[in-house]
Amino acid sequence: MDILIKSAVIVDNNSNLNGQKMDILIEKGIIVKIAKSIKNSGNYKELSYPDLHVSIGWFDFRANFCDPGNEHKEDFTSGLKAAALGGFTGVVAMPDTYPTIDSKSGIEYVINKTANAIVNVYPAGCLSEKAEGKEIAEMYDMHNAGAVVFTDNKKSIENPSLLTRAMLYTKSFNGLIMEFPNEKNIFNNGQINEGIVSTRLGMKGIPSLAEELQVARAIYLAEYCDAAIHLTNISAKKSVELIKQAKAKGLKVTADVNSYHLLLNETALETFDSNYKVLPPLRTKDDQKELIKGLKEGTIDIICSDHTPENIENKKCEFDHAAFGIINLQTSFAVAHTAIKNKLPLAHFIEKITVSPRQLLHLSIPEIKEKTAANLTLFSPNSETKLATSDIVSKSKNSPFIGKKLNGKVYGVINKNKVLVG
Amino acid sequence: MSKLSTKHLLGIKYLQKEDINLIFETADHFKQVINRPIKKVPSLRDITIANLFFENSTRTKLSFELAEKRLSADVINFASSSSSVTKGETLIDTVNNILSMKVDMVVMRHPNPGAAYFLSQHVDAKIINAGDGAHEHPTQALLDGYSMREKYKDLTGKNIIIVGDITHSRVALSNIFCLQKMGANVKVCGPLTLIPKYINSLGVEVISNLKEALEWCDIAMMLRIQLERQDTKFFPSIREYTQQYGLNKELLDSLSKKITIMHPGPINRGVEITSDVADSNQSIILNQVENGVAIRMAVLYLLAGRVD
Repeated sequence: MDILIKSAVIVDNNSNLNGQKMDILIEKGIIVKIAKSIKNSGNYKELSYPDLHVSIGWFDFRANFCDPGNEHKEDFTSGLKAAALGGFTGVVAMPDTYPTIDSKSGIEYVINKTANAIVNVYPAGCLSEKAEGKEIAEMYDMHNAGAVVFTDNKKSIENPSLLTRAMLYTKSFNGLIMEFPNEKNIFNNGQINEGIVSTRLGMKGIPSLAEELQVARAIYLAEYCDAAIHLTNISAKKSVELIKQAKAKGLKVTADVNSYHLLLNETALETFDSNYKVLPPLRTKDDQKELIKGLKEGTIDIICSDHTPENIENKKCEFDHAAFGIINLQTSFAVAHTAIKNKLPLAHFIEKITVSPRQLLHLSIPEIKEKTAANLTLFSPNSETKLATSDIVSKSKNSPFIGKKLNGKVYGVINKNKVLVG
Repeated sequence: MSKLSTKHLLGIKYLQKEDINLIFETADHFKQVINRPIKKVPSLRDITIANLFFENSTRTKLSFELAEKRLSADVINFASSSSSVTKGETLIDTVNNILSMKVDMVVMRHPNPGAAYFLSQHVDAKIINAGDGAHEHPTQALLDGYSMREKYKDLTGKNIIIVGDITHSRVALSNIFCLQKMGANVKVCGPLTLIPKYINSLGVEVISNLKEALEWCDIAMMLRIQLERQDTKFFPSIREYTQQYGLNKELLDSLSKKITIMHPGPINRGVEITSDVADSNQSIILNQVENGVAIRMAVLYLLAGRVD
C-alpha cells in the first residue's frame, strides 16, 4: 500500500514539523518522505481533503467491545471499524465481558481476535477474579500475555484491602491499576446527578460525593502503597481538586475524563432521554468547567471515549430501567473538540489522546518521521461533523449525538500498512 | 384563552399559569354539573380513554374513572402491580397494544419518573400523568390548588408548608410547581433525610421544626410517609417520626392563628396526622376529594378538545 498524503498540517508537539503543511509519502506502511511538495510519480493513492491535518494515530484509553459475550451489542469487527473511523489506531479494551477477561487465555483471545485489525488493541485485564471484587486475578500472567492495565471497569473496588493488595502486587512488574471511583452505598442505584435537575424530575440522584470519597480513598491507598493508580472517568469538580493536590504532593496518581463529560451537563436530562444516561452521570456546568481546567493544567492526563454499546431494548424503556452508557468511538474527537476548541490548543488536546495514554501504559509512541512506521490520523479541526444513524458502524446506536452538529471531522487512519478512510 | 398550551398533562412544570387558571375555571363549571341531580354530560362521547395503573391506587383511579364516566367517555382499565413490571417490556408492549386499540387518551400511573413523558414520545394519544414515581402527580396538585383557591380566592402571598417525606413524594413536587405558579410561598418541613439536598434550587426553604413551620404557614399540607419508595430507613421508627412531625390537636390549638389542614390521602391516622385534626373544621381533606373529580373532568375535557 503506497500512499501520498497531500498538504497536511502536522499536529505533533514532539516534532519540529509541528504546524507545517507537508506532503507525506508512505510506502509499504513506512513513511519514506516528508516534504513541502512531493510529486505523485508512481502509482500512489493520493489522500487530499479540505483543511487536512495529520497527527500520530489517536489512542482511546477505555472502550467496551462487548466481545466475548454480548456480540449482539458490539464485537471487535464492528467496534474497531468505529474506532478507526473515529480516528483511533490504538484502543484499550475493557475486560468485564462474558466471560470476563481475568486470565491469560482471555487476554490471548482479545489479542488473537484483533491481530489483523487496522487498530492496535491492548487488552485490560480484570483486577479481581470474574470482576467480583473478592480476590485478585492472575495479573502477572495476564501482564506477560499482553494486558496493559488492570481494572474491574465500572465496578468500583469496594474493599480497600483488595485495592491495596492489587497495587502492591502489581508494583513488581510495573502493572497499572485503574480504579473507577464510585462509592456503592452513596451511589445507591441513583439515576442522574444529584442536583437541580434530579430535584425537578423527582429522580434518584447520584451525589458527586460517591466519586469524591473513592478518589480520596484511592489517593490515600496509593500513598500508603507508594504505588501508581489511575483514576478513570473523573466527573466532579472536587475530584479534580483532590487529584491536583495529590499530584502536587508527588504521588503517582493519574486521571482521565470522558469526552462527553466535557461537552454535556445535567441539563440535557430534562426530557428523560436515556441516551444521556451515563455513568458517572452528567454533572453541572460548574463541574464541566473544572474538568476542562483540569485538562489544561495537566491534572487530567487523558480524554477517553468510554464507548459503551447498548441495544435498543436497554435504552428505549423507562429511564430507571435503561442501561448506562453511550457509543462514542466515532464521535469522541469531535465531542471533545467542540467542548474545548477555544480553551485548549489543538496540539495540547491531541497529546491527551496520543502521547499521554501510551506513556502511561509504557507503550512506544509513534512518530511522524521518515523511516518510521506510519501510524497516523487524518482529520480536520475546522470542518463539521453531523452524525446520521446511517453513519454509525457500531452494532448499537445509543448515541445522543445523532443529528447534532459537532466541530471537527475525522477523515481516516493509517496503521499496520493499512488505510481506512471514511 | 380557551385551550391548553400543551397536548398532554405530564406535569405541572410544563404548564403555564394561564393553563392552570383555565383548568380551574373549567372545573368551576364541572363542579356545578356534579352537584346537579343529573351528573352526566355528553362532552366526551366517542372518546376512548384507557386507565393504565402500573402502581396501586384507590382514590386517584376511582376519581379518574368517575370523571370519565360523567363526561360519557368510553373507558377501559388496566391494572398491574409494579412488581410484575420488569425491565420496561410491559410498558412498551402496552404502548403498542394501545396504539392498535385506537385509544384517544391514556391516564397512566407508573412507578418510574418520566414514564408518562416516555409514553407521550411513543404513542399517538393524549397522555395524562396520574403519578410517575417521585416525579409529578399533576391532577393532585391541581385539585389541591383548586381547593385552596376555593377557600382563599387568591393564593398570592399565602404561606404553604408541605410536611413529611418530600424526597419520595410526587405530590410535593407537583404542588411546589403549582402553588408557586399561583403566587404562593412554599416551604417544606420534615426530617432532613427525607428532603432533597437541592430543594433550594426550586425556591423552597426548609424548616426542620414542625411548630415553627406551622406558625409560619396559612395552610399545612401533611404528607404520608412513602414507605414503598424507601429502600432504607430514613428515620428510626414511626413512633419517633410522629413525635417530631405528627400533627395533633394540642399542637394545632397551640398556634397563634387558625391554619387550614390538607392531606392528599391516604391518611395514616395517628402517624402524620391525628384523627381529631383530620376531622376538624380546619381540615378541608374531603373537599379535596370532591374537587378531584371536577378537576379531572376539566383536564380530560380540555385535552380532548384538541383531539384531532
